[in-house]
Amino acid sequence: MSQITKFKGRPAVPGTAEGSAEVSHVGFNTCATYVDVLIAGSDSGVCKDHDNKDLFGHDLADKIVCIPQTIGSSSAATLFMIILEKGIAPKAMLFANHIDSLAACGILMGDNWLGKRIVTVDLLGDDFLNAVKTGDKVSVQKDGTIEIEAARAS
Amino acid sequence: MVLLFLTIRVDQFIGGGSGSDGVEPLLKIYKQLADAGLKTYKPFTADPKPMDPEHLPVSAQEQATVDKIYNRMDELEDLNLKLGMRSKDDWSCACYVPEMGNTPERGDYLAWSESSAINYVNSVIGARTNRNSMGIDMLCNIIGKAPLFGLMTDEGRKAVWLIDVKTTKQPHPEMLGSAIGLKVMEDVPYIAGMDRFLKEVNEETSGYLKDLGAATASNGAVGLYHMEGVTPEARDKGRDLLKEGYQTYVIDDAELDRIYKGYPNLWKDKHGTPQRVFLGCPHMTSGQMAEWGNRIVDAMEKAGKSKISVPTYMFGSIYVKKAFEEKNPDVTRKLKAYGVSIPLNCPMMWCSTPVEGAELVATNSNKTRVYTSARFFFDDDLTELIVTGKLPADVR
Repeated sequence: MSQITKFKGRPAVPGTAEGSAEVSHVGFNTCATYVDVLIAGSDSGVCKDHDNKDLFGHDLADKIVCIPQTIGSSSAATLFMIILEKGIAPKAMLFANHIDSLAACGILMGDNWLGKRIVTVDLLGDDFLNAVKTGDKVSVQKDGTIEIEAARAS
Repeated sequence: MVLLFLTIRVDQFIGGGSGSDGVEPLLKIYKQLADAGLKTYKPFTADPKPMDPEHLPVSAQEQATVDKIYNRMDELEDLNLKLGMRSKDDWSCACYVPEMGNTPERGDYLAWSESSAINYVNSVIGARTNRNSMGIDMLCNIIGKAPLFGLMTDEGRKAVWLIDVKTTKQPHPEMLGSAIGLKVMEDVPYIAGMDRFLKEVNEETSGYLKDLGAATASNGAVGLYHMEGVTPEARDKGRDLLKEGYQTYVIDDAELDRIYKGYPNLWKDKHGTPQRVFLGCPHMTSGQMAEWGNRIVDAMEKAGKSKISVPTYMFGSIYVKKAFEEKNPDVTRKLKAYGVSIPLNCPMMWCSTPVEGAELVATNSNKTRVYTSARFFFDDDLTELIVTGKLPADVR
């Protein structure tokens, strides 16, 4: 039987989601990740941030993205709206730290103006980020409870 | 949450110079606002446009591709002007320089976007704005209010990191900023040890502080830094700005070297010859243009050259460009003769277009490096490249 690890955070944008984890241990640079989406009109959710060795080249669409927090350009909020509109957004964003003003703004504006939601939980703590691994199965509950089922070794 | 009235005499800054289909959600909102007859309560300036065909031309075929990508630029400009943009010339990420005239005063409350501009006005001027995004900046400035939290408050402006700079010489601002951003992410750092090199904020140091801050905001999410003995709040309050329980990060020569060596080389031809040199992201101050202009002239005259070996561009606003040219007619004449150009657009966006993204661009900007495939080089190496067409062997 698989081992389930639970964490509890703050449901910043509440909802349920389930999917495969993509984990970054460095700040998630939203603009660098989606720069081709912003400038070149790309329809790909693949991370283009070459400074992020954890996520560079990974497709984040429909994934559960687990990060310390977001960093970088103030275009970030617009980018969350754009990836929501294009249907290439993660299912959920899980923050170990406090959600920042740019991510909160973009995710909330996408929710309110576009009616499309990225389930968002913050304040999960460093232990969460140390526990979750890319490829793990993660489920998110409305109350901010996170369940991690470790991926089986192949 | 408290809604705080902004200081209404201050012009504002709105992000988003990219008129691509990508910004469709934003354009929809702007159109709704403009159709309703709404305007910002004070005029605003905006981030630079992605292209400048006059000063940074591309081939006809490339231009056709670029025109398709930025097919919403005219629409964005039209909407900006309807919503309160100051004029058709007011595109620059460094709007706070005196020549642009969108310069807040210490203590002014703002609702700005553009990570580097936010960082500068908070840190170097002592005005107060949170890190707002494109879109929210416009909405705040339509209603003339911004939420009171974070960097708008005394408590939110306290530092949770002491950055102890122990380098043997004045560090390159891009490297120091990069190191700080990577470590503290969005926290407020208090930088000590820099008053050995910088004494105050003035025309000479403002470019350095701008570039340092921009690097903290691209490799991290720093909206405010304090520099001991230099920035206004640090001069007044000193280490009282440090929060109880702050952490310390020591930066020495070895740490900066470690950061530099960690920058990836994304050029398709890893050791190819650079095709262009981009200087200034964020946009240069007139002081930086004079410094780089003189640097290039000195190197060219020393080498006995009449034309630069690699196309070289110094990016700035139209106002800064005019001021630089008026103050430095001899240098301006020589730079034009060498082939150095001063475009008005955003080098980062230019490098991000699919056509130009394939080029091998060398830059002095960490921000351009973070968001594009351009490679960062130090000033002496770039100067040699501009004059000889080659990078020094040890940095190729």
